[in-house]
Amino acid sequence: MAVPSPSIAPLADRRAALDRAHLGDIEGAVGTVRSYDTAPRRTIHRRLLTLLAVAGPGLIVMAADNDAGTMTVFGQAGHGYGTQLLWVLVLLAPALFVVQEMAARLGAVTGAGHARLILERFGRLWCAFSLGDLIVLNFALLVTEFIGVTLSLGYFGVTRYLSVPLAAACLIAVTAGGSFRRWERAMYVLVAADLSVIALAVLHHPPAAAIGTGLVPRLGGHPGRPALLLLIALIGTTISPWQIFFQQSNVIDKRITPRWLQYARVDTALGTMAFVAAAAAIMIGCAGMLGSGGADPGHLIDAGAIARLLALRAGPAAGGLFAIVLLNASLLGAGAVSLSISYSASEVVGVRHSLHRQPRDAPVFHGCFAAFVIAAAATVLIPGAPLGAITTLVQALAGILLPVALVLLLMLCNDRELLGPLTNPRWLNAIAAAAVTVILILVTMLTITTVVPGISVLDAAIVTAAAVAVCGAALAMTFRDARPPRPRATGMTPWQRLTWSSPMLELVPAASGTRARLLTLALLRIYTLVMLALLAARLGSLLAR
Amino acid sequence: MTRPPLPGYEAPLSREAAERLADTMFALAAPSRLLILSALLDGPRTVSEIIAVVDMEQSAVSHQLRVLRDHRVVSVERRGRERLYGLRDEHVGALLDHARRHLLQLDRPSAQSDRLDRAG
Repeated sequence: MAVPSPSIAPLADRRAALDRAHLGDIEGAVGTVRSYDTAPRRTIHRRLLTLLAVAGPGLIVMAADNDAGTMTVFGQAGHGYGTQLLWVLVLLAPALFVVQEMAARLGAVTGAGHARLILERFGRLWCAFSLGDLIVLNFALLVTEFIGVTLSLGYFGVTRYLSVPLAAACLIAVTAGGSFRRWERAMYVLVAADLSVIALAVLHHPPAAAIGTGLVPRLGGHPGRPALLLLIALIGTTISPWQIFFQQSNVIDKRITPRWLQYARVDTALGTMAFVAAAAAIMIGCAGMLGSGGADPGHLIDAGAIARLLALRAGPAAGGLFAIVLLNASLLGAGAVSLSISYSASEVVGVRHSLHRQPRDAPVFHGCFAAFVIAAAATVLIPGAPLGAITTLVQALAGILLPVALVLLLMLCNDRELLGPLTNPRWLNAIAAAAVTVILILVTMLTITTVVPGISVLDAAIVTAAAVAVCGAALAMTFRDARPPRPRATGMTPWQRLTWSSPMLELVPAASGTRARLLTLALLRIYTLVMLALLAARLGSLLAR
Repeated sequence: MTRPPLPGYEAPLSREAAERLADTMFALAAPSRLLILSALLDGPRTVSEIIAVVDMEQSAVSHQLRVLRDHRVVSVERRGRERLYGLRDEHVGALLDHARRHLLQLDRPSAQSDRLDRAG
């Protein structure tokens, strides 16, 4: 089963799929790759054409990553700290790429979405937890996207009772069209508009020397809680679980097979660069125009206020540009975030789910999308809804749950039954593990400083480092004891190794309960329970006051 | 042999009809789902009865039944507190039956010699 016999049948038609619409030709926004056309691309011209057709999921997910929340946080960072935090972005880029590359590879090789893989490999409890987590966080995210719509169009004097329903209707119309190509084209328009934010940094920026010093890692003159909070917010808005779910499902829906993994990687890399460019432009633009000295770094302003301030200090062109990009980012984010939910829910339930299908062919998939968008839009329109409180709570929750999603992703990518010869190489595991550890430490520190009021950041760092070191040592020992799994790749030609795809999910042998695996899952469970308990305690004390 | 000209029954399939047909065939194209369908050939059954026949986990059977229902191959009927799953219509059974006969045909010695003849 593991080693497919050589066959002349097109790879794209032989692979396992959860929905038949996931099999067939790649119909990209610009270009088509036929399912039988797997021949080597020998000329640069042919390679570029193939890249144009295959690219999409990575670009879209990364541009959507730069959504209303991200624009706000990076704007706030520029506002409060100037370009001092630019180095965070430089460190985040490789982590972002590595995480999304893993998700895309999982999708291309297994043909099954992330939620479905968690269900198959970790059982119903982890699946319910991940899906519930995704639904709660995505709903809140979607609310922030619609707030972004109200703020951006509010800048131009459009009432929210017009802008929000209009935005929701546009999103549903674009998604329910029943054509993947048309959907991707619409997204491409938004992606292109998103990049126009780079003009903001060109229009006005601090001296180049300030940008240069911003690339050197340090926490500036405020190494306290506000800086830590902002750091977590920067990481949390840059790397978030919905992106993993979205890209994996979108790669499958785009019909990308392992044959095109290299092209998908280039797509993800281009997307990462686009994200970094846009986010840096926002940070630099806001730093240049607002000046970092005057504002209180702990005082956070919303995106609408940033646009108005920009207009005040740098002219109406800058303010207008920021507002337009904010609208665009909100729409793109909303489209991708709610799609990740409808993909995940449908693939877990087992109903048809594809952008290739029209609503009557996939009622649950499209219904889920519409219901989600409408509910979030309605929430924004409720007068007096505690939107700020919701956003803050959800950011805390997102930070806490991010390491869980990353560890599950990492475990899936090391699953030899699932990914065969395409499991993570050692060096990739090392990078990913380092990223997860850093995020884990920062998140735990933030939670401790939030829950224990008197504790200093340094004490929290010591406690966290000790806990992580103990867990890390325990894991390292069990991993060393665990015999390395027999490599499945022996006897395969390089071509077979590169184009290997998983057997149908029901034929994949159940995950073996090695000690390392059990210990990791147990630690993950303890971490989640402790963190949720701390958050609940903090919430309780806030409510009691 | 001429077929009665039913609407949507054109001899060379239309593109749309082929897509819909492929969807139905996709629902049949998994060993577990074929096992479940074969358990329903003799008439509607409850989930627990299906589990007893096909020897699969309950969650797996429920999941595959949902896929079959989504593709409208299987229909569900409530009878009291029980849910009875059955083939949507007699054609599903016939489809399965003909596919099995096709395999039997392939396994016959005459079929193999036929293949050899053509190869030679």
